[in-house]
Amino acid sequence: MISALKDFADRFLGRGDATITVPSFDGALKPNQILEKAETVGQFEAPEDLATDGKVLYIADGAAILRLDAAAVTEVRRFDRAISALCCLPDGGIAAALDGREVQVFATPSASSPRTTIADPSMNAINALSPGAQGTLIATDGSTARPYGQWVYDLMERGRTGKVLSLDIASGRVRPIASGLSYAFGACAAGDAVFVSESWRHRMVAIAQDGSQRAVLDNLPVYPSRLSPAASGGFWLTAFAARTQLIEFVLRENAYRRRMMAEIDPEYWIAPKLKSGRSFLEPMQGAHIKTMGVVKPWAPPRSYGLVIRLNADGLPLCAAHSRVDGVNHGVVAAVEMAGSLYAIAKGPGRVLRAPLAMIERELRA
Amino acid sequence: MSDIILALRKATKLYAGVPAIENVDFELRRGEIHALVGENGAGKSTLTKVMAGVVTLTTGTMQVDGVEAAPRTPLEARHLGIAMVFQENSLVPTMTVAQNLFLGQELFYNRLRGIYIAAQQFLQSLNFDVTPTATVGLLGAAKKQMVEIARAVLHEAKVIIFDEPTATLTPEEKKYFFDLVRDLKRRGVSIVFISHALEEALILADRITILRDGKHVVTDDARNFDRARIVQAMVGRDLSNTLYGTRKTTVRPAGARVLTVQNLKMAPMVQNNSLSVFAGQITGVFGLVGAGRTETFKVVAGILKRDFFHGGEVILHGKPVRYRVPAPAVRAGIAYVTEDRKVEGFFETMSVARNIYLGLLAKLPGGRFFLSRREADKVGSTWVDKLKVRATGNDMKVVELSGGNQQKVVIAKSLVQDPDLIIFDEPTRGVDVGAIVEIHELIQRLADEGKAVVVISSYLPEIMALSDRILVSRQGKVVEEFSALEATEEKIMYAAVH
Repeated sequence: MISALKDFADRFLGRGDATITVPSFDGALKPNQILEKAETVGQFEAPEDLATDGKVLYIADGAAILRLDAAAVTEVRRFDRAISALCCLPDGGIAAALDGREVQVFATPSASSPRTTIADPSMNAINALSPGAQGTLIATDGSTARPYGQWVYDLMERGRTGKVLSLDIASGRVRPIASGLSYAFGACAAGDAVFVSESWRHRMVAIAQDGSQRAVLDNLPVYPSRLSPAASGGFWLTAFAARTQLIEFVLRENAYRRRMMAEIDPEYWIAPKLKSGRSFLEPMQGAHIKTMGVVKPWAPPRSYGLVIRLNADGLPLCAAHSRVDGVNHGVVAAVEMAGSLYAIAKGPGRVLRAPLAMIERELRA
Repeated sequence: MSDIILALRKATKLYAGVPAIENVDFELRRGEIHALVGENGAGKSTLTKVMAGVVTLTTGTMQVDGVEAAPRTPLEARHLGIAMVFQENSLVPTMTVAQNLFLGQELFYNRLRGIYIAAQQFLQSLNFDVTPTATVGLLGAAKKQMVEIARAVLHEAKVIIFDEPTATLTPEEKKYFFDLVRDLKRRGVSIVFISHALEEALILADRITILRDGKHVVTDDARNFDRARIVQAMVGRDLSNTLYGTRKTTVRPAGARVLTVQNLKMAPMVQNNSLSVFAGQITGVFGLVGAGRTETFKVVAGILKRDFFHGGEVILHGKPVRYRVPAPAVRAGIAYVTEDRKVEGFFETMSVARNIYLGLLAKLPGGRFFLSRREADKVGSTWVDKLKVRATGNDMKVVELSGGNQQKVVIAKSLVQDPDLIIFDEPTRGVDVGAIVEIHELIQRLADEGKAVVVISSYLPEIMALSDRILVSRQGKVVEEFSALEATEEKIMYAAVH
């Protein structure tokens, strides 16, 4: 009774759990235009994930794995289903998640048949793969309720069914490391622990071997996604959309959300998107996107692009942005290779390249 | 008629046998702007208080228009044509602007509407954006200063003395103020003004007098001075390289996020404000008066309350907090060093040690029935030594200290609480150059020790000299962030205005 009253009072006053606020992009997350100034390496149909062995960049584009070297793109292999995650293994192999339900591991990227196929019924929306310890793969499964392509449904349903799995490459055995996550989307080994992004809770958690969780990076102004190691230590964390007060508000209003989901085309939901500005039917996220004909970069964005550089402890050091007035939005993957940062802007379907020297120069400017 | 409107000969004022000014000769010419410059404790305020009838000379004479005079009250001085605009304003906070302007000029029957209309017209003639019906207590420091200035002008004084007139004014307001002073000069009014902003003295004054340790050092035409010469005369040593002189070439990396303010609202001053403060860094907050900087951080420190409905969030060390009073904020490790030290900073008739001890008591949970005088003295002595507070003893009353040393007491009162987050609001306002250097060193040291430090200042060189990152506030919210490496005065000011 008391908690019901408190809940009512909080909702009425906009306090406690009903506080609808979002953190600002400041400090290490200070906005810039680095992702907008980055070189577009290529335009692809449906780029999803990146992987590198340190020499070659592999791109998961729809059902195909592409190889990018010296500006030439060649198809390495093609599957019958869309690839939802990709990673290179330390022994020279490559692993791909297909449609979020199956993981195939190849001894080399061009091997004719998979070394291992893992198709556990518990796997539903595998969205990221990363090498683990002792011949394992760490996989994040965003949701058991919705397939990978329906991530926005999972957000609107306030899904908390995300999992982190350890996949034994040799035996194909699947072992859950953590469950009950609000959309696990990206993992990376960090010492004895595993760093995992939890998108709907806007944070990154460290999951220890005993399964205990500790928030490493909390209260982010974005929806974090995949993680990859940085060459000089630390990590690159991507984010595919930014939080806004309007979406936070909608996420609190259950009846409204249910009706919106039932009656409105998902393209025009009040929800984060990977790209925006294509239709007048899109709900505006604020009143001041345009002033005197100029899109103001501080306006609340419907879609956004961000890559955050983290140190080894998970503290942000700097970030590369594509702001509300940019197009390189929906950044879902980033890897570092040969002194450059490569990122996928899923919104426009681009693979971007930003030399680290350029990033440093821009951050100093 | 003599060219000299006001003169002091061999002026000496003793407080408890200690000279505040000693054998000072001072002459003010008719229609001149005369800057009075010196460190805190140099005797500037005492000299001007003698002129304004606030205190009387122990020995020496004062002449007004060649006639010997010794005003014993400000009213007597006003009758002699001398008005003073005080640094710590002398307005009645519960009265309106118009009532304050006409205070002392009441008629038998006062028509309030008439007073408001007259005040409105008068303030408009001065280009001052102050509402005559506003209660003075609710005005910001700059607006209070404007009312003080307007009151002096209204009294048609022949001599107007300004004590730190521009400390609280924005650049635009300063420009109005300078124009106003020049206009007064054209009308034949003589101006004495005290300022720690030496550039203002150089720009505005016809002549400059420098005092040091209560003694007259030099008086000369302003064109014969430059900044280095003034500073050297003031302190007896060259400080030009240590005060705002060097540009930052490195900044401290951000540590853990200590404070996050999200969509904070406190109508009408704070509008959806969001910012973060990190450990081991100095976060400078710049903005024009009315930008909502002070109010935002007062909400953080529990001094003001955010909006009742949807007032936003303050997150300290990752946990949302809402303080109704400052005590829990102090216990949570937040220290706020006020911009208005006289009103909010200390108990002026209490000793230095007791004031500092009060800071410690605020941190302790619950109340204390018995207080230890010995502990108070010990804590006081420790911090007086640490911050080099120049006092004759621990039991010296704070009111007897100079502005810079009073500010050090206010800072000590906060630092004794061992806070994680220290908010300095205008830390060097009304503080002499010597003390500014010491306070700046202290702020830098705190950041080096890993504390999260916020410096709110309206003085751009100070913000640029201290900050690792600079937040620019405008119309109640942070609109821009600069690294100290990329910031320039032009960029910051542009963000603050546009």
